[in-house]
Amino acid sequence: MPVASHIPIAASGSFLITPNVGLMIWVLVVFLIVAYILKRTVFPAIGKILDERAASINSEIDSAAQLRAEADSVLEEYRQRLTEARKQAEEIIDRAHKAGEAHHRQVVEETNAERERKLEQIRAEISAETERALGQIRAEVAKLTVAATEKVTRKTLTDDDHRRLIDDALSELDFSALSGGKR
Amino acid sequence: MSAITAPSPGPTKSGMSTAKKVGLGLFGFWLAGLIFFIAVFGFKSHKAPAVASGVFTPTNEFKLDTWFAVGPIDFNKGVLYVLLAAVLTIGILGYTVRRLRRRPGRLQVAVESFYNLTDSLAGDNLPGEDMARKYFPLIATLFVFILVTNLIGYIPLPVNSIDKFTIFGAHLPSFQIYAADTNVAFPLMLALMVFALFSWERLKHNHYNPLAFFKSLMPSGVSGPIVPLIFVIEILSYFLRLISLTVRLWANLLAGHMLIAFMGGELGVLVGDQWVQWLLLPLGIAIYAFEAVLIAALQAFIFSILTAIYLGDAVTSH
Repeated sequence: MPVASHIPIAASGSFLITPNVGLMIWVLVVFLIVAYILKRTVFPAIGKILDERAASINSEIDSAAQLRAEADSVLEEYRQRLTEARKQAEEIIDRAHKAGEAHHRQVVEETNAERERKLEQIRAEISAETERALGQIRAEVAKLTVAATEKVTRKTLTDDDHRRLIDDALSELDFSALSGGKR
Repeated sequence: MSAITAPSPGPTKSGMSTAKKVGLGLFGFWLAGLIFFIAVFGFKSHKAPAVASGVFTPTNEFKLDTWFAVGPIDFNKGVLYVLLAAVLTIGILGYTVRRLRRRPGRLQVAVESFYNLTDSLAGDNLPGEDMARKYFPLIATLFVFILVTNLIGYIPLPVNSIDKFTIFGAHLPSFQIYAADTNVAFPLMLALMVFALFSWERLKHNHYNPLAFFKSLMPSGVSGPIVPLIFVIEILSYFLRLISLTVRLWANLLAGHMLIAFMGGELGVLVGDQWVQWLLLPLGIAIYAFEAVLIAALQAFIFSILTAIYLGDAVTSH
């Protein structure tokens, strides 16, 4: 607890509102020195670092915007390329489809033609075979007719007789059944 | 209804928050202390002899006791506080500036926000880039110098050489919280400087014509017989700027320090009751916190923004 000093002090508080001139001069001098030092060293340094930071932030914003623009253009380009690629792919698929169809059609046509040809050939072979068989049958029938006639008539037939007999016999025979009724 | 009415969870001991517990504990401690002091010392007042004889007065701690003098220059605790404020201001700002980095630390952020605040004070109130750049150092220095002066005024230091205390036979100055701006000289000097500056700017703005200077104080659109009355009022209000700048800072700080002292025990000493000291102590702590946190910065801000406004007014009014 504060104990009273031995110096008697007047109870009056008038010194409170009386400015101390000595202190006023001290305040002015010290304040001006502080202001001068701060103005020369502190404020420019702080201002500089703030300006630098502002500049670096600005340049970062600028470069970010630039990067963004670049990224956008690259993206746009890729999109375009992708569209083109898709279009090309569709074209290729389309072309392949068409080629496939054409090939298929060609194969079908060729197969059909081949079959027709083979059928034609088989028909020709069949008819040739039929002709040959008919010829054989005719010869056999003629031979049999001659033999039968010789046996019946007990005489040897002349060539003229032969020919007449054969022709008669043959004209009476119907071979249409042998050729399948097609002729 | 009874089916949905659940038993209401009443406030239980276990549900109390830590802050509440601490608060209740402190309140209990305070109450117990009050009872203790009344029990030990009683209600009856026992004024200290120094108080009874009038040797001790509450204003003594604000008296500037000359410690030593070099020629005509007196050195007292006011001077000590002004020098302390200067050294701390330059020291803290200089320390920060030497370690300025692109990625700031906490101190640098604080210093930068002080810079930005005062920069916008100057920029917003002073017309034109030139005026703002010219007066920014003054406004910023006023802010930081007053702020530091106010803040060191809340640190107890052994500077009360009038009311000494004795330890092992040595008479030592009492600890006190003193601020240089509790002496009217401090704010008056700064206010005089600012007043001189904005008056000079106004005179320059009016082409060094005293008549134009006074005419520029008149609000526009006033005519007729009311002119002399308005003129007197405007002149008065112009010179009152000096008084208001001074008194606002000085009275706030002086009253704040006195309140802290009274509530922190001095009132109890004056009436001679120990329990009154204990009773008012929480109030003293609250006022101390309020002054140190809010008033110190607020008064520095008000002084510097008024400086900027007055300077801006000097070069814009016609």
